[in-house]
Formats: sequence, C-alpha cells, structure tokens
Amino acid sequence: MRNLTPLAVGIVLTLLASTTASAQTVEERAETCTACHGEDGRPKMPEVPIIWGQHAGYNYIQLRDFKLGTRKSELMQPLVADLEKADMLALAEYFAKKEWPRFGFKASEADQKIGEHVNGAGLCTECHLGGFLGDGTVARLAGQTATYLEKTMLDFKTRARANNPDKSTLLSSFSDDELKAMARYLAAQ
Amino acid sequence: MKVNRFQWMLTTAIFSFASIAVTATLGSAQEPGGGPVYGDMTVVSQDLMNRAAGDGNNFLHTNGNYHQTRYYPNRQINVSNVSKLRPAWMFQTEVMESMETTPIVVNGIMYVTTSFSHVYALDARTGEQIWHYKHAMGPITVYCCGPNNRGVAVYGDKVYLGTLDAKLVALDAKTGKMVWEQQIADPELGYSETMAPTAVNGKILIGTNGGEYGIRGFVKAYDANDGKLLWTFNTIPEDSVGVWATKDATGRDMLRDIEAEKTALASMGDPYKTLGGGVWQNPAVDLETNRIYFVVGNPSPDLDGSLRPGDNLYTDSLVSVDLDTGNYVCHFQYIAHDVWDLDAVSPPIIASVKNDKGETVKGILHAGKTGHVYVHNASDCSLIRFSEAMVPQENMWVLPTKEGARMLPGANGGVEWSPMTIDPNLGLAYAINLHQPMTYHVESTPYPGGKLWLGGAFKVIPTEEQWGNVTAVDYNTGKIRWQVKTQQPMIGGIMATAGGLSFTGEGNGYFKAYDSETGAVLWKFQAGAGVNAPPSSYTVDGKQYIVVAAGGNTQLNYKRGNTIIAFTLAE
Repeated sequence: MRNLTPLAVGIVLTLLASTTASAQTVEERAETCTACHGEDGRPKMPEVPIIWGQHAGYNYIQLRDFKLGTRKSELMQPLVADLEKADMLALAEYFAKKEWPRFGFKASEADQKIGEHVNGAGLCTECHLGGFLGDGTVARLAGQTATYLEKTMLDFKTRARANNPDKSTLLSSFSDDELKAMARYLAAQ
Repeated sequence: MKVNRFQWMLTTAIFSFASIAVTATLGSAQEPGGGPVYGDMTVVSQDLMNRAAGDGNNFLHTNGNYHQTRYYPNRQINVSNVSKLRPAWMFQTEVMESMETTPIVVNGIMYVTTSFSHVYALDARTGEQIWHYKHAMGPITVYCCGPNNRGVAVYGDKVYLGTLDAKLVALDAKTGKMVWEQQIADPELGYSETMAPTAVNGKILIGTNGGEYGIRGFVKAYDANDGKLLWTFNTIPEDSVGVWATKDATGRDMLRDIEAEKTALASMGDPYKTLGGGVWQNPAVDLETNRIYFVVGNPSPDLDGSLRPGDNLYTDSLVSVDLDTGNYVCHFQYIAHDVWDLDAVSPPIIASVKNDKGETVKGILHAGKTGHVYVHNASDCSLIRFSEAMVPQENMWVLPTKEGARMLPGANGGVEWSPMTIDPNLGLAYAINLHQPMTYHVESTPYPGGKLWLGGAFKVIPTEEQWGNVTAVDYNTGKIRWQVKTQQPMIGGIMATAGGLSFTGEGNGYFKAYDSETGAVLWKFQAGAGVNAPPSSYTVDGKQYIVVAAGGNTQLNYKRGNTIIAFTLAE
C-alpha cells in the first residue's frame, strides 16, 4: 500500500475491517460500498461513479478486473482481493437492481454539438446503445457524473485506465476538449 | 439472357400454379381438406421444410428456403397491383430497440423476435399476440453492434432461439414455454448469439458472434429433440496459416509483409485460439449433396495483423461442411489476413449459375462487404466470377495506420449482414449496400480476455456524404443490371417475389417495393422507424401478406421502433 494517500489508507483500513467478517450477506458486503458510492446511490465524491442501476454485467467485469489488476485503483483492489466470482456477481446484481439516481445535469448547446460529433465519428452508440443506456457488460453512460466520465475518458486516453485497450485507441483520436464536452453531454442524457 | 416481362410473368404464373397444386396434393396427405389449418403448430415436418421454396402459404426459413433465395413463390401481390398494398395490422412489441427479425409463418401463426432475445407468437391474420417468451438473460452479455436477434427456427412442435447470453433455447410452439436450453459457449469470453438457428434433418445448426472479442469461431449441430451436441466445426483450424496468399479474390495485392509474418509465426506460434471467425448468419443447405455452406467472419483482432501471422483460415471465407458430421468439404477465402474487417457475412445462396464455359452448374452466391457479388462452383467452392463493384472502392488495400488511413468501402461494407435475394427467372441477385467512408486505425494490444479487441479503431469520416443503394446483379455475367441510390446506407435485407417485386426498407423509415426487372419504385410506405430487417411473405385465408419489422438499427443508429407491420392488398 505504499502508494496510497493517507486518506485512502484510512478508508481502506476501515472498509477492510468491515469486510473481514465471515459469511457476509450481499447486503452486508454492499454496506462497505456506501462509504464512497453513497447510501442512496449518489456518490459522495465527484470522481466516484454511480453504480446504482448500472448494469450487472458491467459492475461484475469491473470488480473482476480490479481483482485481476487489469483495472488499477488504490481503493478498490484491496476491497475485492478476497471476493470470489459468486460474491462479485451477487454484488453486481444487487446494485444493478437499485434505482439509478438522477442529477439533472444540463449541458450547453456547444457541448451538445460536440457530443453529437464525437458520437457520429466514434460510433459510441454502436456499443453503448440508443440513449447511451448500455446493456450487459457495456456501461450505461447516460446521466453518469460528468467528473467521473471526464476522468475516465482521459484516463483511457493516457492508458492510466487499461482494462479496455480499444477504448484507449478510440479516445486517443479525440482532443481533451472534445472529451470534456462529451462528458458533459453524456451526463446530461 | 434478358427475359421480357410477359415471358417471365407467364413463367412465374405457371410455376406458382404448379407449386400450389403440388403443395395442395402433398399437403393433403397430412391435412385432410387440403389447405393450411390455422393454428396447427405441430406440422413442421422435414418434408414441409424441404418444399419451402414452392410454398406460397408459409415462410418457414429465415432466408425463405434451404437454398436461401428469399424468393417467395406467390404472385397475388405483383407489379400490377402493388400500388394497392396497405397495412393490414401492426403489432408493437415491448422492446424499443433494433429489429433484425425475419417473421416466420406456419399455418397462420407468426413468430418474431426482438432485441434482447424476446419471441412473440402472433395471429398472422390480425397481429393479435398468442404468447410472449422473454428470455431470462444472464448478467454477462458481450456483443458488438446491438442486442439484435434475427429470428427463430421452427421444426416439429418447437421453436428455436439463440440468445445474447450464448444459449440455444427450444420453446413449445403452442405455449412459448421452454422445453430445453443449452449453453453454447462462455459469454464472458465474448461469445453471444444473434442469428436465427437453422433446422434440418433433426438438427439445429447455429454459429456464434464474437469476431471482435478474440473468440474461436464454430458452427455447432444440436439434436432438435433434446439439445444434445452432435458435432462442432471449428472455423479456425489449429493450422490457420494457409498458403500466404498475397492477393484478394479479385486479384488485388493486399500489401502483406510475408517475411515479417513468417518471423512472427516462428516466435509466437499459430494464433488459432483467439483468431475470431464468427458465423452469425444462416448456412445454405444442399440436401442433394448433404452439405451446408456458410460464410466465416473476420479475424481477431480486426485491424491488427501483427498478432496473427498467416492467412488466418477460415476467416473471411465461404466454407462447406458435411451436414451429418460437420467434416470439412471445401472453402474459398476472399481476403487472407484481413486487416479491414471487410469480412464475409451476408448469407450464401444456392442457385443454378453459368460457369465460365457457359454450362449451368450448381453455384453459391455471396455478397461481400467489398461490394462484389461472388459466384462460386458449389462442388469445390472455387470462384467462377465476381461482379462489378456495387459501391465506390478507393485506396484498396491501404494498410491501417495509427493516424488512420482512408479506404473505401468502410468497414460496414458494401453489403453488411443483409441477406440478398434472387429472381431465378431473371437471373438477377439483389443486394443492398452501404457507402460509409471510414478511416482505419491500428494499435497493437495483447488479447484482453473477452473484451472488445479491434486492435485499433474504425472512424466514420463525418464530413463525407453517406448513402446506400439497391443493386441488381446478373449473376451469370457479373454485370450490374440496375442500381437505385438511397438516402442512407442500407442494412436489413431484401426479398423478391414471383409477383416481379423486390421489397426492402431504409433507415429513414421507408419500406419500398421495386420492380425486380427495372428497379422502378412501385410502392412505398413510411413506417415511422427504421425498416432494417429482412421482409417475408405468407398467405392466410387466400390473402397474401408482406410483413416486415420496423425497429431501426443500432449499428447505424437509425431511429428505433418496435413494430411488426403486415401489408395486404386493399379490398
């Protein structure tokens, strides 16, 4: 944990303490998640994603990738280290069944224009589907927080997030400003 | 040979009359009283399936019949009266997403599917729902290009469905209740099902999606009764290297660096385990020779050839295997070591064709994403000819670059998965095409374990015009007979009828009837959502219907809908 910030160390230790109890139910495990992802599905920090109502397949794959280490996170990797596939699937399903929280984010006309351009060139809805609602292992983007979306796309672009290499290739063909506008456009969907 | 309209109308009229007479005669052995018995869903015998090409009442196969001609033998709706075609009924599903289903009709009962693997049984006279099967989808689904489903297979007393979570499901045709299901492959590794299965001789045949995810493709045969696996043909052999072909099927150089590939092969070995090669369209079935013919999709990763040295057999190929055993018979590869995703997807058609000596032989037709219609000899899969290009081709075969290289056609084609149709009396094949300029980008990344693995990206060039066309190709000469440009790139499929008509829809919501001989638009209907599914036809109570789904398309982002529309002639 030598790369963890003091705040993260504190959170992880607290959460680890709460996850070491044996034979936890999915509800008990999910309690751990609320520290960052919120008790009501509204994340407590802007760079934390909404996972309530996110697709179970996507939630599961992210947990799996944290465990495999193909997605890096100081916070998440210790939390999933001891989870088995069944545990991860159960958590994924648990949050998928919750109601997606709506923030009512508004995007400017300029952001909307750029967002439509990026979607037209990048064929985003070919995988993320109409309305950017996603399905299965493909994330819902519509209404996700703009800060998280921006960070995620820029992390894909710089390869800081490396668990979907083709996403990095695609997003590298857009400017940072285009991706920031795209993040606001998607948050407003 | 050009046949004038009077001659072929006369021919088709005689043919249709003869077909109806034959059907009625043979049918009377099964069904006292002659004609179809409405609601009898337990009569889909092998004999009935075999005779589908001449059956003017039912529509029993996704592509019309085992030869996949999509040529419907009834001519009640024809060039003379098509202007009177009107909606008879509309049915709205509960799923507002891309629709690619071919309605299957058995004795007045229609089976349609939607995205996310739903099945509906409808009264084909009224559109009234009889039952609805909603698949209990597993949490892990991995697929590109939309949560599509292209329809069911019918056989005996069952209806068969492939699902997004890579299962084959058998339903009771009367109730829609599940009889059995089989897990075909692991969806977490990128396998999924969108194709309609094919039912023949007690077997259910199905391939797999996943060419964008590093799968190892296959076609499998299951026992129609209990779902037991009978055989598997791996579309990627353990030796996938081939002959180091440097030219495509048309003789153009593909700019391969063979020496570099040989060096890579020596260091990394054969890449067959993650080489792709999905099969997601129906095979044509030749019951005379007991062979099936199907096309195999692109290699994985799509754009990065550095990780997969060799010809990447049998990707981008027409392949024939034995129906009983799944043993290899022959193949023809269109593009060896493809790095543009210009693979083979539109389902093949068996037809009588002229060879290069002018002799009539059993042929196989396939429309490529390249924009050519390829004509093969069925006996050994060899290429007889290829048609004039139906769409602009530029800069072929420039290699993808990091910054992006422009080449036409774009990665969607040419002809995408959309099935062709033929009019055997005119000797014409009808194909719907896309013109969608793209740049091809390459970036090498290792196998990501079931994640999207393009090895780069395709990007649409937003400043360039996109359009489509409907093209009639003389398959005995390779010449284009007629071509009609459309407002948008075309995807979905087409059906010709003995009435001299070809029906196909567009992303803008128009569903149109073309004069098969001339290409004149004789009728159109605005459906309110993209018509991007293959039409079919049937007859109940003496009335011929044309039916199509209007659900839009995910891949090209055409307006979504959820409607099945059946048309018949106004009284």
